[in-house]
Amino acid sequence: MAVAGDEVVEQVSALVEGVFERLKPVLVATESLLADRPAVRARDLDRLRPFAVGALGGLVVGAGYICAPHTLADQLLGFQWWTANQDAAPSQLFISLDPASADFLDYTRQSWFTVPRDTGRRHITGPYVDYLCTDEYTLTFTIPVRRDGRFAGVVGADVYVRAVERVLRPRLRPLGGRAALVNAQGRVIVSNSVRQVTGSLVREVDVPAWWLTQAPLRGGPRLRRCGDAPIALLET
Amino acid sequence: MSHGKGVGQDWRVTRKGMSHGARSAMFAPLGQLGRVEAVTARLVDAITIGLLADAERLPSEAELAARLGVSTVTVREALVALRQRGLIETRRGRGGGSFVTAPATPTHTWQETLRAISLSELRDVGDHYAAIAGAAARLAAERSSAEDIERLKLATTDMRAATGVEVARAERQFHLEVAAAAQSPRLTQEEMRLQSLLWLPPHRSAYAEHREITAAIAAADGDEARLLTEEHVVDAVARLAELHLDLVAP
Repeated sequence: MAVAGDEVVEQVSALVEGVFERLKPVLVATESLLADRPAVRARDLDRLRPFAVGALGGLVVGAGYICAPHTLADQLLGFQWWTANQDAAPSQLFISLDPASADFLDYTRQSWFTVPRDTGRRHITGPYVDYLCTDEYTLTFTIPVRRDGRFAGVVGADVYVRAVERVLRPRLRPLGGRAALVNAQGRVIVSNSVRQVTGSLVREVDVPAWWLTQAPLRGGPRLRRCGDAPIALLET
Repeated sequence: MSHGKGVGQDWRVTRKGMSHGARSAMFAPLGQLGRVEAVTARLVDAITIGLLADAERLPSEAELAARLGVSTVTVREALVALRQRGLIETRRGRGGGSFVTAPATPTHTWQETLRAISLSELRDVGDHYAAIAGAAARLAAERSSAEDIERLKLATTDMRAATGVEVARAERQFHLEVAAAAQSPRLTQEEMRLQSLLWLPPHRSAYAEHREITAAIAAADGDEARLLTEEHVVDAVARLAELHLDLVAP
């Protein structure tokens, strides 16, 4: 059983690395674009298009670069984001970036933006309802972008939770008891039990408290982190 | 109800009697902030107000770019957005270009919508909104993580100092955050759809009410969160009904 659990942990790490791997060319292209010219303008972000589109595919349904405020010379906020369409060509995302507009939604509050900004490290946000882009239950993978060593936004990739479930649930089934993959807040991403539905919070273990030390729990449930991802395997 | 854009009741008249001055203003240079959105918004306004008539051919991308003081790439993106909304169509070849396809139903100001609606329809949409927003609040109380609560508190604080357009935005954003905290894409999508039909008018109690709802969600009290949200919506709909009666009063 321990071996089967190890396999799940490895599978999750492989899935996570696979998504971040797709983002590397976007990161390299973004950082060199920002480094190359003294004043980057919104229209310059169009140069990132082939890289964002190139990151689409596999589990990734949306990808691109999102600016930190004041990164661009000609506007406060900005982004270059492309989404996969099932049959048609990828399409570019447009949302209101004008703080004076009634439709403006401030993306600088979203965890996929704040966590890489505040920790300097890559992050996986979700499961969450992504009302800015996919309108779906989503996991968003983001990596901080730097210019002259300073935070200049994130490159990111969106993955549907249902797609992750299709890949990972068959791996949970062979585990003996109840098993769930949870995020650092204890929110269920996928489980092998109807009693732990996707999106619910695990109650029998205080996952946020465990996350601080990640020390083995005494008796009962077992929690194991999957690589450096903010995802853990919970077996009860 | 969609929000008014300062368009008078007599937009149909404006459309016919479009002055040269109004047209020039429509093509005055833009600032640099959110240019694609700004170009899109200006062209949407021009079409819905009627400054650009149905079947009228738009100036070329290069000409629009020069007149608006933006790049042709920006104009092209704005035209993509207009095409997606079905406001223009592009024909290729000789005599081609982008042509206005005026919206099937003209865009009303919120006063017009509110004047036109019946109290029974208003009650029905209000019931629907209360059901969705109430259910979202109950689930949010069950499912919110510390992170969700933090975002709800930020959205609540937005309302405290909000003025002008920020009030409507804070109202929308707050309920959107509650639906998202419920972890339900369907409730969130429904919330957005209803927000386009029903506008909760600004009210001085909005901040206090949002704060109470957030407190109930943070305390994981689903019944209380639902009740407070339903009352919040029902009160807002009652204010809309009063506005309706004022508008249709002889």
